[in-house]
Amino acid sequence: MINLAQKDIQHTLGKFIVTAMGVGMLLGIVLIMIGVYRGMIIDAQVLLDDLKVDLWVVQKDTLGPFAEASRVHEDLKNSIGIIEGVKKAEGITFQNLQLPSKAGPVRVFAVGFDPYGAIDPINPKKIIAGRGLERDHYEMVVTDKTGFHVGDTLHLGRDDYKVVGVTHGTVSSGGDPLVYVSLKDAQELQFLYANTRIRADRARGIKTLNSHMVNAVVATVRSGYSVNEVAEKIRRFKYKSVYTAEEEKTILTKNLIKMASKQIGMFTVILVIVSTIIIALIIYTMTLEKIKEIAIMKLIGIPNGMIIKMIMQETLLMGFLAFISANIFAHLIYAKFPKRVVLEIPDAWILFFVVIIASLLASLVGVKKVISADPSEAIGG
Amino acid sequence: MENRQAIKAENLVKTFGKGDSMVEVINGASFQVNKGELVALIAPSGAGKTTLLMMIGCVLEPTSGSIWLGDEKVYENRWLTKETRKIRREKIGFIFQAHYLIPFLTILDNITLVPQTNGISKEESEKNAIALLRYFDIEDKAKSMPSSLSGGQNQRAAIARALANRPQIILADEPTAALDIKRSVDVVKMLKKIAVDQDVAVIMVTHDEAMLPLCDRILKIEDKKVVSHSVSENKETGIL
Repeated sequence: MINLAQKDIQHTLGKFIVTAMGVGMLLGIVLIMIGVYRGMIIDAQVLLDDLKVDLWVVQKDTLGPFAEASRVHEDLKNSIGIIEGVKKAEGITFQNLQLPSKAGPVRVFAVGFDPYGAIDPINPKKIIAGRGLERDHYEMVVTDKTGFHVGDTLHLGRDDYKVVGVTHGTVSSGGDPLVYVSLKDAQELQFLYANTRIRADRARGIKTLNSHMVNAVVATVRSGYSVNEVAEKIRRFKYKSVYTAEEEKTILTKNLIKMASKQIGMFTVILVIVSTIIIALIIYTMTLEKIKEIAIMKLIGIPNGMIIKMIMQETLLMGFLAFISANIFAHLIYAKFPKRVVLEIPDAWILFFVVIIASLLASLVGVKKVISADPSEAIGG
Repeated sequence: MENRQAIKAENLVKTFGKGDSMVEVINGASFQVNKGELVALIAPSGAGKTTLLMMIGCVLEPTSGSIWLGDEKVYENRWLTKETRKIRREKIGFIFQAHYLIPFLTILDNITLVPQTNGISKEESEKNAIALLRYFDIEDKAKSMPSSLSGGQNQRAAIARALANRPQIILADEPTAALDIKRSVDVVKMLKKIAVDQDVAVIMVTHDEAMLPLCDRILKIEDKKVVSHSVSENKETGIL
């Protein structure tokens, strides 16, 4: 039996492929959008995974330190550290900074920690040049995306900082590159006012504010102890909000990027709808172009089913080619995006099924046109 | 004695519209065409030639009357079968003013499309198609696309397509309208030869009076009815 779809496509192969590639680029953007969302989730977990802590102790009734502002005294780590079941506890700070650069300020997310402490947020496997922090002043480890190199000197606040190490693949939940400084430096940068302000406050009788604050105290739990039970003990006695690593991950991946994911989800849905409409319009136009031939085929007795099969096969093939083009396009460009884009096979499969369903829906407009085509249109010139 | 009837119509009526806007195109048309006959269907423009052709071809439903195709009664005030398309596919061959070959199919595919749809194997359909192409002297164009053939070659291929399903009836809607006089004569002679060789009834709508002497008989739509004239009779009455 003659395959009409195959013959028709062969006849207009170039046009068919170019059209499918055009739709494919649109679908490629859908894949990229999903990839951006996946990237956000992975980015949100980078710091948590590198820290490898079990508990986050933050200011009472806050979701801090990432979702809400949180300040606790640094020495809280000492009282946390002696609670039964706690293995290690350290203070940690987080803040956004603008690093001066010749090409313009570089926005980063700075992590402050005690280089002599028991918890180090720098994953040694991610250091691609230099070393981690070894002194508690004027050293900085930066992510390669900042563009700085080992040996560079950066002026921040009142002091100069020397880049001693470069990491790769370390970003904040917002996608900003991470930099690491000592806790003392971080506290100065975040909590210490300018000398003029301190002098003015003294003149007003205001006591100089304590800069020995941290945004959170993180702790690990000894093996054999329940993380939830230890967390409950801290909540009960220390009047702080305490989150387990899983809860903190949920705050970061669900709460913090909830709006962004909704935004991306909306874009993705709109793009899929637009793609469906475009495929439908293409199929409708392709059917209209063949309406005389369809009328002739109906007149000489070709069953509707055979003509509808042609339309549906062409639509499905277009959807399939568009899907292949989408994947090629997405894989060619995803690395060029400034933020992490993660293309996952399950997402591609979901898109594949969506495209097939969209193609089937789109083919209905062509099928409707075939059914309504009047065979008598073929007669009479 | 063998029944030579290929087409028979009795009291065919066709109206369009309803009420005050109703237009009666055919009213009480009765005629018969036998196998092996080439019959010209003539009438002024708008008199209902194409309408009549479409009714006989099971494309347009009459308002009332009866139609036989061969021995089978296919219409009596309603279609007697739901599968009018199957009747067209199996019993009727269509030839149009232009060739109307499917542009994305080769000449061979165009000719084998209907037979293959009728369940005839690809090999047999192609064998028959090649024989037809040889008959029309365009065997070498079997694998060509219609766009690469001349107008005359395409028209011959279209006639070959109309014959591919071994029809009992060929309905030709002004097949010579776009051709010069020499080619027109060739096509009508070809249709006459087909009618005799394949033993099929051919009804040819034409405006070209020069083609009428080549036909066996003339059906003329007069006062919404069909009147049959012999060619010689028409010569006498001045139709020719």
